[in-house]
Amino acid sequence: MADIKNVIRRRMKLILAFAALLLTQVGLSQQYTISGSIKDSSNGEDLFGAIVKVKELENTGAKANAYGFYSLTLEAGTYTLIYRATGFDDLVKKVELKENMTINVELSLPQEVQQIEEVQVKGVKENENITSSEMNVTKFDPKDIETIPVIFGEKDIMKTMQLTPGVKTAGEGNSGFFVRGGGADQNLVLLDEATVYNASHLLGFFSVFNSDALKDVSLHKSGIPAEFGGRASSVMDVKMKDGNNKKFGVSGGIGLISSRLAVEGPIVKNKGSFIVSGRRSYLDLFLKLSNDENIRNTKLYFYDLNAKANYKLSDKDRIFVSGYFGRDNFGFGDQFGFDWGNATGTIRYNRIISDKLFSNTSVVYSNYNYRFTVGSGDDGFGVNSAIEDVSVKQDFSLYANKNNTLKFGVIGMHHTFKPGALTGGNESFNEIVLDSRYGIEVGAYIQNEQKLSNRFNISYGLRYSGFDLVGGKSYDFDENGDKVAEDSVGRWESIKYHQGLEPRFSMSYVISEKNSIKLGYNRMFQYMHQLSNSTTSSPTDVWVPSSNNILPQISDQIALGYYQNFKKNAYRLSAEVYYKALQNQIDYRNGADLLLNNEVEGELVYGTGTAYGIELLLEKKKGKLTGWIGYTLSRSLRQFDDINDGKVFSARQDRIHDISIVVMYELTKSLSLASTFVYYTGDAVTFPAGKYTIDGVTYPYYTERNGYRMPDYHRMDLGLTWYMKDRKKFEHSLNFSIYNVYARENAYTISFQENEDTGETEAIQTALFKIVPSITWNFNLK
Amino acid sequence: MKKLLFVLLGIAAISSCQKVIDVDLNDSDPKLVIEAVYTTEDSTVRVQVTKTSNYFDNSNAPSIDNALITIIDQSGSVQTIPSVGNGKYELTNYAPTFDSNYTIAVTHDGVVYTSTTVLHSVIPQLPIFYVYEQSGFFGGPGGYLAFLNYNDPATEGDHIYAKYWRNDTLVDDFQTDDALTNGNLVQIPLFATFFDIGDTVDVEMRTIDEKVYDYFEELDGASDPSSAAPANPTYQWTNNALGYFTAYGVSRQEVVIQ
Repeated sequence: MADIKNVIRRRMKLILAFAALLLTQVGLSQQYTISGSIKDSSNGEDLFGAIVKVKELENTGAKANAYGFYSLTLEAGTYTLIYRATGFDDLVKKVELKENMTINVELSLPQEVQQIEEVQVKGVKENENITSSEMNVTKFDPKDIETIPVIFGEKDIMKTMQLTPGVKTAGEGNSGFFVRGGGADQNLVLLDEATVYNASHLLGFFSVFNSDALKDVSLHKSGIPAEFGGRASSVMDVKMKDGNNKKFGVSGGIGLISSRLAVEGPIVKNKGSFIVSGRRSYLDLFLKLSNDENIRNTKLYFYDLNAKANYKLSDKDRIFVSGYFGRDNFGFGDQFGFDWGNATGTIRYNRIISDKLFSNTSVVYSNYNYRFTVGSGDDGFGVNSAIEDVSVKQDFSLYANKNNTLKFGVIGMHHTFKPGALTGGNESFNEIVLDSRYGIEVGAYIQNEQKLSNRFNISYGLRYSGFDLVGGKSYDFDENGDKVAEDSVGRWESIKYHQGLEPRFSMSYVISEKNSIKLGYNRMFQYMHQLSNSTTSSPTDVWVPSSNNILPQISDQIALGYYQNFKKNAYRLSAEVYYKALQNQIDYRNGADLLLNNEVEGELVYGTGTAYGIELLLEKKKGKLTGWIGYTLSRSLRQFDDINDGKVFSARQDRIHDISIVVMYELTKSLSLASTFVYYTGDAVTFPAGKYTIDGVTYPYYTERNGYRMPDYHRMDLGLTWYMKDRKKFEHSLNFSIYNVYARENAYTISFQENEDTGETEAIQTALFKIVPSITWNFNLK
Repeated sequence: MKKLLFVLLGIAAISSCQKVIDVDLNDSDPKLVIEAVYTTEDSTVRVQVTKTSNYFDNSNAPSIDNALITIIDQSGSVQTIPSVGNGKYELTNYAPTFDSNYTIAVTHDGVVYTSTTVLHSVIPQLPIFYVYEQSGFFGGPGGYLAFLNYNDPATEGDHIYAKYWRNDTLVDDFQTDDALTNGNLVQIPLFATFFDIGDTVDVEMRTIDEKVYDYFEELDGASDPSSAAPANPTYQWTNNALGYFTAYGVSRQEVVIQ
C-alpha cells in the first residue's frame, strides 16, 4: 500500500508542478487582452509568423498564427506595440490599455522615404531568430528566392529547400528530399493541411508546388510541434496564397518547360478573396512539330491547378476553401499510357471564440492515384492504384496570458488504400483486384509555449496517436516471408490497433540579445510507409499501412543549437547538432515484388536506424549582397538482421559532407545576379566485389550493402534577373539562368556491365545534365 | 519503369552523357559457383563449377575439375556425374521421372553443397501465329509480330522460360508465371523484333520450377542499376555457393512467315 501511495504522491507533485508552470507570473493586477489580425496592406494576405512586440517589456510579445490572428494579454498601462514581419516595414502603435481591445493592422512593404516613426523602430533589434523558442524551422517566402537559379528556370521551393543544411536532394535535379538522415517517405508534406503523397512531377524533376500559388513554406526538422504527426522525420508545411482582397490582378510567366497564369482578386472588397493559379508544361507541343507521326503521337506533360477562396462571414468568423489538382500524363498513341497525380481539397472554418481563444475546424480530402494502360479495346489492359484520405481536424489556440500560449486539438483521418487492380479486355490476363485496405488514424495533442523569464522560453507538449487497420483481409508470414495464415474481417472490424504517446519539447535560453542556445526533443510515430525499390521517386511507389506485420516507424530526436547574430543582425550564424534513433525501419527481401502483390508484406524486413550530425549555417540578411553558406556533417546508418549479414550499413542518403552556397547580389535597382554552388561527398552505394558467369552472362557478385561511395558531386548555377521598367499597372521581368555552369559531369548512376564488343567488364558512369541554359519571362498585371 | 525513365530523360536531357570510368573495387575471396542443368530433351545432366573472380579481372573464370558430383532422384538412387574437363561435368542417358524431386550434391574441399529442384511435366506449346503491325512500339517501321501461345494448366504455380530465334539467330529470352494468366490460353507477343516474309521463327519453351524462376528474377534484378539495393540472389545451394540447379522439359515450335 505504501508503494501505491508513494506513486500517487509523486504523480500529484508532477501535476501540481505542471499547473504551477502555467500559473507563474499571473499577477494580481487587472489584465486586458489585445487581439486582432496582421495582414499585408498591398493584398490583404494574412501574415503568418508576423509578431507584435511590446517595447516597454523585454521579451514580451505575440506571434500571428497561420490565419494572421494574434492575442496578447498585458496588465493595464500604456504601451508601444511594434508589429513586424520579414520584408515589411515595422508598424508602431501607442496604446493605452484599460479594456480588451481589437487592433487589426496592415503592414506595408518598405517605402523609399522613411517615416519619422521608423527612427524609433531602429532601436528594436531584428533578432527574433535569437529570442524565439522555435528551433530548426526553415521558412521560405517564394518571393525571397525568385532570383535563385534553378534547372530549366522552373522556380521550385523544394529545390531551394535542399540548399539548406540538413536537407538533402534525392538526386540530380530531383525534388525528392531527405531530412536529417530520414527516409524520403518520412517527410510529412502538407498543402493547406492536406497530405500530398507524391510531391513530384516527371519522375521527380519538378515538384508539384507552383510557386505562384504559394504564400510560404516551413520545414520543421526537430522540436516538431505537437500539432503535427504521422511522419518520422520532418514536416513540410506549404500554405497557399489567399488571394488579393483589395484589387484584381493577373500574373504569370512563360518558361522553357512550362507556362503559368494566376488570377486573383476580391470577392467582396476587404471581406473575401480568391486566387486561381495554373501551370502546364508543353514539351509535347514541340513534339507535335515533328515530321514523324510516332513522335507526334507521344504525350508528355504535366499540369497543376491551385484554387483558393476565403470569405469573412463576420468579424469573428471566416471560411476558407482551397484545392489542388495536378496530373502527369505520358503516353504513346493507343499503345501505351501512364498518368498519375494528386488531388486535395480543404475547407476551413476559423472562429475567434473570444479575444483569447481561436478555433479552426478543417475538413480535408486527399487523393493520389496512377493509371497504366497498354493497348486499347479487346487487347488492352490497365493497372491502377490509389490512396485516398478524408480527415476532420479541430484545433484551438488559447492565449492564456502574456506568458502562455496553449494549442490543443484532435484529428481523425480515414485512409483507403487501393494498392492496385489489373483490368482489361485482353483474354490472356485474369482481372485481378488487390485487397483494398482501410485505416483510421487518430490524434490528440496539447502544447504550451511558455515564457519562464525574460531569457527562458520553453514549449512542451504531448501527442497521442493511434492507427486502426480495419476491414478486409490480413495475412501472417513466417520468418522467410512465406504466408502461413490468412484471415478476413468485416469492413469496420479491427485487424490491428497501434498507438503511441509522442512527447515534444523545445526550449531556448537567451544569453544576450545577440546569442542564444536552444534544445529540442521529439518523438514521432509513422503509421504509413512507402515502398519503393528504385533510387528515384517513382509514380508507382506504393503506400502501405501499419498492420499485424508492419509496426509503426518510431523516431526519437534530440537536437541542440547555438545562434549568434553579428553586425547589427546583418549576419546570422547557427550551429545545430542532432541525434536521431529510428525503430521499425523497412527494407525488402531479395527480388521483392512490390507491384500487384497482395502478399507484399511478406517481402519486407525490419530493422533500426540512427542518424546524427552537425549543421552550420551563416546567413547574410541585409544589404545588396544576401545569401547563405550551409555545411552539414552527418551520418545515417541502418541495421537489419536480414541484410548485410546483420552488420550495420550506411543508408543510401548517408552523405557525409554537404556544402551549399547561395549568393544574391543586387547590381542595380533593376538587375539582380544570383549564384548557387553545391558540393557534397558521394552517397552510399552497392558495387560488386566480384563477378561470375551464369548461362554465358556475367553477373556481379556483392559482398556488402552500400559499402562504396558515388563520386563527389559539385555544381555551380548562375542566374540573372532583369526587372524591366516598372509601370504602375504592369511590371515584368526576364530571368536568365545557367544550370551547371562549368559542365561538370556528375555521376547520376554507375553501372557495371560487359562491353558488347570486347566482352570485358567495365564501369559506366551516366551524367544527366551538363550545361542547361534557360530563360523565363514573368509578368504581373496589377 | 526503367524504359520510361530513360525515354523521359532522353527527351528532357539536353546533354546527358555516358563514359567508362575507373572504380576502385575491393578484392573479394573467391566463392564457388555451381550451374547445374538437367534437360530431358537429351536426357543429360550438365554441371559447371567455377569460382568468382575480381570484377575487372578479364581472364577466364577459374574452373574446378576435382569436385565429386552426384545426382539423387526421389527414390534415393544416386548416380555420379563425371568430370569432362574445363570445370564441366556430364551425365548422359539419364532417364527422367516427371513431377518428382532431384537433388545434386557437390563435394569440394571437404564441403558439401546441395540443391533440390522439381522436374515438372512439360506444358505443350501451340503453333506460333503472327499478325502484321502497321507501326512499331515507340515509332519505327512495322512488320510481323509473332506470338508464343499455350494453354496454361488449371492449377496455379506454372512457370515458363522461353527463348526465340530468327533464322537461327537468338533474339531474346524471357520468363513468365501464371499469376495473372492462370488457366487461360496465353498468347505472348515476341516483342523484341518484327519478322519479315521468309523469316523462320523458332521458339523453345521450358517448363521450370518456381525456385528457378525466382532465382532468375532476382539475378536480373541484382544487375539493374536503377535498383536501390542490388544484392546477390537468394542462395540455391547449401553453404552459400552461387548458381542454381534446374531440371526441365522442352516444347519447341517453328514457323516460316508467309
